Amino acid sequence: MAKVLIPTPLRQYVDKKDSVDVTGSTVGEVLTSLTTQYPDLRKNLYTDEGKLRSFVNIYVNDEDIRYMSKDATSVAEADTVTIVPSIAGGF
Amino acid sequence: MIRIEPEAWKEMVRHAEATFPKECCGVMIGAEENGARRITLAVACRNAYEGDQKDRFHIDGRDQVAAERRARELGLDVIGYFHSHPNEDAYFSSTDLKHSWPWYSNVVMSVRGGVFSHAKSFIANDDQTAAEPEDLHY
Repeated sequence: MAKVLIPTPLRQYVDKKDSVDVTGSTVGEVLTSLTTQYPDLRKNLYTDEGKLRSFVNIYVNDEDIRYMSKDATSVAEADTVTIVPSIAGGF
Repeated sequence: MIRIEPEAWKEMVRHAEATFPKECCGVMIGAEENGARRITLAVACRNAYEGDQKDRFHIDGRDQVAAERRARELGLDVIGYFHSHPNEDAYFSSTDLKHSWPWYSNVVMSVRGGVFSHAKSFIANDDQTAAEPEDLHY
């Protein structure tokens, strides 16, 4: 099972856990497993059209999936998937 | 209420002044108990914004992953983020609000002429339509 690290604001939707172990061999499968287990998390990660929200980035270990194979990026048993808030700004 | 401990605050000011006249950014690590937030570690991050960084920032994702890992190793949590406003007041702009996340503390540091001036902290609401000031101690 891959480990998914949950950022602090989203832990309220996963029984206050800081990580969740889920099955899946791609990022898409892992996130589907995660949001099936914790449905309240889905609206925070995906738009109504089912696309990953623009302010949510997903890393497999140290790699941003946008520069890999996106949802089809492979996830091995020992991999860590991190949900990373996209934080930006300016004035 | 958020309290930033001296070592963490020193690192935030160092990073903000060293990055001037560009915006700096970073991660604040600590703990929350009964609504009181205490920051014990500040991690300076790279500004990944592709363009003029004098008034824009985007925290480098890899630096965030590393900071998240460090927080967990210490048994702490990522409580919020900080960034600077070079030669501008410390306020939560519409751009800051639009690109923030709810729950997190967002410390904005005003740096004028390369020297730290003042700071404020804000927490965005769930739909990122408004941000409330947070009592900040440093």
